[in-house]
Order: sequence, then structure tokens, then C-alpha cells
Amino acid sequence: MPSPQRAPRELEGLLRELGPQIQLGGHGAPPITQRPRCPTGLASLDALLSGGFPRGGLSEVAGVPGSGRTSLALAALARATGEGEVTAVIDAADHFDPPSAEAAGIDLGRVLWVRAPTERDALRAVHPMLTAGGFGVVLVDLSGCETRIGARIWPRLRKEVSASDTALIVLADRRIVHTFADLALELAPSSARFHTETGAEGAGTLLLALESRAELVRSRLGPEQRSIPLEAPSPLLGSG
Amino acid sequence: MRDREPPRIACLLIPDLPWVAVARTQPELAQRALAVAAAPGPRADVLALSPAAERAGVRLPCTVTHARAACAELEVRLVSSALEASARRALLDVALSASPRAEWAPPESGLHAAEATVYLDASGTGSLFGSDAGLAAALAARAFRLGLPAIVTVAGSRSVARIAARRLRTTWAERAADDPGPSDVVPPGGDAAFLAPLSLDLLDPPDALAQSLDRYGIRRVGELLRLPKRALVARFGSAGQELLSLARGRHSEPPPSAQEAASFDEAQDFEFPIDRVEPLLFVLNALLSRLCERLRCRGLACDSLEVQLTLSGGGRDARRIGIAAPTLDVRILLRLIALSLETHSPEAEIDAVALSTRGVPPRDDQLDFFRPPGPAPAALSRTLAELEALCGPGRVGQPEAVDTHRPDAFALAPFAPGPWSPPRENADRCRETPPPYALTVRALRPPVAAQVRAARGRPAWIRSAVANGSVVEAAGPWRTTGNWWSPEEHFAFDHWDVATEDGVVARLRWDPLHHRWEIDALYD
Repeated sequence: MPSPQRAPRELEGLLRELGPQIQLGGHGAPPITQRPRCPTGLASLDALLSGGFPRGGLSEVAGVPGSGRTSLALAALARATGEGEVTAVIDAADHFDPPSAEAAGIDLGRVLWVRAPTERDALRAVHPMLTAGGFGVVLVDLSGCETRIGARIWPRLRKEVSASDTALIVLADRRIVHTFADLALELAPSSARFHTETGAEGAGTLLLALESRAELVRSRLGPEQRSIPLEAPSPLLGSG
Repeated sequence: MRDREPPRIACLLIPDLPWVAVARTQPELAQRALAVAAAPGPRADVLALSPAAERAGVRLPCTVTHARAACAELEVRLVSSALEASARRALLDVALSASPRAEWAPPESGLHAAEATVYLDASGTGSLFGSDAGLAAALAARAFRLGLPAIVTVAGSRSVARIAARRLRTTWAERAADDPGPSDVVPPGGDAAFLAPLSLDLLDPPDALAQSLDRYGIRRVGELLRLPKRALVARFGSAGQELLSLARGRHSEPPPSAQEAASFDEAQDFEFPIDRVEPLLFVLNALLSRLCERLRCRGLACDSLEVQLTLSGGGRDARRIGIAAPTLDVRILLRLIALSLETHSPEAEIDAVALSTRGVPPRDDQLDFFRPPGPAPAALSRTLAELEALCGPGRVGQPEAVDTHRPDAFALAPFAPGPWSPPRENADRCRETPPPYALTVRALRPPVAAQVRAARGRPAWIRSAVANGSVVEAAGPWRTTGNWWSPEEHFAFDHWDVATEDGVVARLRWDPLHHRWEIDALYD
């Protein structure tokens, strides 16, 4: 056993030898910038997010109703289930609509839907999923919830998710995760685009798309304060 | 051609079931002087004694008063048929964990009335346990884990195995409380040699025959075997022939039969009725622990629970608790029962409780190289059960679109992500693929009532909890109707997609059957 005087010198030698292989903190997990991403499939949005929502990271999507926040979060789920990943929706206000999600390309067979009775139960439900592992994306939908959520929950969730390969996305009316988010997007509604066509039997109108603007307000992955326009077309129109 | 291997039969014997059944539910009593009484009160007969009580000088037959006179520290418990039945089934579970062919021995009377015996066909189990001795030791250890200190023996027939087990009764009574029951093996073909030095009483001959042989001075099995067979049969008839064949270890008995899939149950009667949930949960915790240990012993898990409460006054409260995924986590199962009891309290005090479940195989899965790794089946089962305990029954699962035109219809199926394969290119061409960022809706459950003013047949102004103001744009109506043949389920809606001046895009509907406007979803 080395003497107490020799130990620091041996430690210094070891540090010099290992050099760049040593990483500080993070429980052995690579830093968030090196973690894989969970893309949404929309090129401009993925570019804004430096590749997508970070796996092993806590992301936040905030916006008022009509801002396209749900469509954006479900786009990540659609992409993940399309790749065969298992995902979860923790739904605190019971807003998830299976037919609409299926029309948006989500493979419902790979989605675990948790209809949590309260916001607190919704946040408690995250822990067992992260412990079980294997979930590609976990979406916690807290939109429309009135209860004030204590700030202490977020550092704990962030620590738990950093030890996993799950992309944890929190959906809310306004920013609630604040500085504990690895990535925060704010969406603002622009307009709804309708199309009217007049034929022999009269005029017919169709909802074509929801237009909004996404702003990256916080990111540990790359530059912040960039925004892009978004357009969520009706799935009835198809990819063409 | 290879000779057929001689049959091997294992016997699991509990010499004193009434005491063991009580000690199984209250392990702290295992080392104490305990008497099991047939009825309440000091004059009741004592049916069984723990080894500690026998060491303290209590002897059967006696009443509770006599037993207490012999041992002041004696604890007395009432005999419970429910506990004994559970212990018997648990003993059978131990046997079935090693062989599918196992069965109970019919109950006996007289000296052996308190015994519980299970036989199993141990032929061919040598490769699993190494040897007959390994099988016997494994069965004794498994039984002990279920709170059953059983004697385990292996021999060439049921009778010889049972005789070998009864021989160990004294060893069983004198063992330490934290040791499993003793075990013994009669080597293949050695049944006759094993029996020869034993007392004839162990073969349990009929009384008249036993007395006659005793008068002739024949007290050992070996002495019986030296007698000429013809003369013995001529004097004692078929009873003598049967005793002789048993003494030679050639008793013809059918091997134990295979068991049908059975349910697992545990029950407990209360000496005093329970009127609060907390003490009931305390009892349920112990029942669930024993139930899960039995399931674990058989390599099964619990996917639903039947809880039956016997109420004071003769009433019954039966409830079925579904579990999202098979589990053996007692904490989760207890939480689900607690949720059910909190939601629907029993209507009277509880006299007895019984739990029943059917064992199902735990989920297994084969991972492959070409599929993203999902949650491990065992971890997923635990997680699903934990989530259901947190959120309540019927709130966790896989969403399913229902085959109906009703816009708010959905269903939750048990979550079991199956094997995944990448979509084929041809299949993609056949169906319309949605855009990568497609518009979705947020369902409002229940729909939000709205006041609507219409102009020229279209919504022009809305007032509701989620959208207000003039309608900037409206698309529709899309008419859906269905279930017209059922007055209760008939629905009809005219749907409109409307954008209001406060920036909300909502799915508005007119219900002509109930004459009301509602918003059932928001585009988001």
C-alpha cells in the first residue's frame, strides 16, 4: 500500500498517463454534446436542435395551445417508433389522442400511454421508466396543468435521465424546467392556413396547416437564440 | 436395447400439518411452545403441538387447560382449515417445481391423521439435480423457503418413500428451527435391504395381522421375509400377501399423475373481525408474500388477483384486480389492492380473506441484432405494474384506435411491444405516408361546452373555456353518425375546424341529438 506522501505523486503520474481519457463528473456517461440525438425528421428543426432531442438529456417544449408544440413532440415519437424504438407518453391532463397520433405516423404498438391522474403522479411515473431502461423517448405532457410544480424535481430528473439513453421531453404551456433543461424550445402561434375552393356545388374550406415559430431559448448542445418558422400540415394531405 | 430405469418416487411429508400451517403464517412462533386447539376455550382439545411444546413436557391427548398446566409459556392458536389447505397446496407446488407428475396422498386417520404427504415422480430428474440426494436436498430447501419444514425421501415406490420419511420424524422434531427438514435416499433396487432391519409397525399392517405376527415373535421386516410365502398367504390371506410384497419393496402402485393447471390461493381466517384497512393490509402483505413465493417456486408470475373477503353477517365481497403485466412484486400487488379497497370499501367487518391467482409465465423475449433494444421484459413487467399501482387500474397500456366512427373512441390494451421489422418499400408506396411534422390534436375529455352564434349556417362567434371570440376561419361541416340502432349509443356530430381571433384552432362539433355545441379537441 503506498504511503500517504507517495500517493499524490502516483496519482499525478496516473493522471498524466491517462490524460484525455479522464472525464469529470457525469457518472461515467459522455457529456451531453456527445450523446446521440433523437431527430424529429424535419430537417430545419433538427438543424436548430443540433440533430434532435438529446438522449440522456432533459428537453423542454413550451407554448400556448395552437403553437404546434404537441405536433412537434409527437413528431419525435413518430420518428422513434418508425425506427422500432419503444416510447412512452405520460399524459397528466388526458389530452393524448390515439387516432390523431396514428395519423401522424406514430406506431401505437410501440407507445406506452400512462394516463396519470395528477401532475405529481406524471412526474413520479418517469422514475420507473428510466430505471427500466429501453425507452427511446419519454414525453411528459404537463400542458394545461394548473398545479405549481416544485423546482426540486427537475435536478433529480435530469440526473436520472443523464444515466440513461432516453430523450426526456417535457411539454408545458410555459417554461417550467428553466435552467435544468439541456434544451428548451419556445413555440409561438402564427396563423392557421385554410384553403377555400369554389366548385359547382358551392365553396368548400379545408384546414391545411398550422403555422408557428420555434425559438431555441436554451441549449447545452450548440448556439442559442435562433428561431425558425414551422408549418404543421394536416396529415390528410400526405407527405406530397 | 437399453434396460428401462427403475421408477423413482419422492415423498414430501409434513408430520404435523396443523402446527406447521400456523407457524408458516407466524414464523416467530416456530421456536416457541405452541398448541393448536380444535375450538376456543380452555376445555377444547389440543390437536397438535410444536416440538418446543413437546420438549416442555406437554403430551397429547390433552385439553388446553392441561397443556397450560404443563407449560406456562404455551401459546395457543385455533386450528384453521384455510391455513392447512394453503399449506397443502404450497407443498404440492414444491413438488411440481421439480416434476409435472405429483399428487397428494389421501388423508389418513389415527396416528397419521395430522400428516400431509405429496408424492412426485422423480424418474429422470437426476440430470437436473445431479442425484437423488441432490433432488431431496433441493426439495427440502424449497419447501423450507415456503415456510414448510418437510421431510423429503426418495425410493423405488410410494410406500417405501413414505416409510423412509416416517423414520425421520424424530430427527425432524429435534432439528433447529432455522434448518430445513431432513432428507434421505433409498438407493435404486435397495428397497428390500432398506426395509429389512426396520420394525414391522412402520409397514402399518392391519391390527389383527400385526397382533398375530407379534405373537409369533416376528417384529422386524427381515424376519417376515424369511417366512415361506405360501404358508404366510395360506394363514393370513390377501393381507399377508400385500404385507409381504410391501416388505420386499415390490408394492405395485401407479406413478403420480400429471396435474392440471391449478390456481394459487392463500387464505386466512381472523379470530376477531377486522374493521379497518391498515390491519387488513398488514395481513394481505403476508398473504401476498406467501403467494408470490409459491409462484416463484413454480417459475410463474401473477397477472390478476381475485380478492375475496368474508364479511360479518355472512356477506361476501369479491373483487378482481387486473395487473398490467405479470409481476411478483409484493409491494406493487399490495398497492393495487389498497387502491381497490380505498375506492370501494367493504360494507362490513371482515372475518376472513382469501387471495387467488392463476400463475402465468413471466414475459420473456429474445433480443436480436437488427432491432433497437427495448425495455428488458422483466424490468418492463415490474415498471408496468408499478405505474398501474401509481395511476390506478386501466390507466396504463398501449393506445388502440377502435373500429368505430365515434371521434372520441379509444381503448387501452396491455402493453406488449412485439417484434419490430423495418417497413418494406413496397408497403410504403401502397399507403400515404404522413409528413414528418404532421398536425395533431389534443383531445378534450370530456368535451368543453361552447356557446356558438352562427351566421349563414357557419359558426361565427364562440364563447368557451378554451376558445373565445369571433371565428376567423371555419372549415366544415363533416358529418359523422353511427350506432343508430342503439338509443344509448347512437351518436351524430357535425364537426367544424375553426380558428378564433384569440389564436386557437379548435375542433368544434354540433350534437343534433342533444342540441349542444362542444369543443372536443384543439389543433396543436
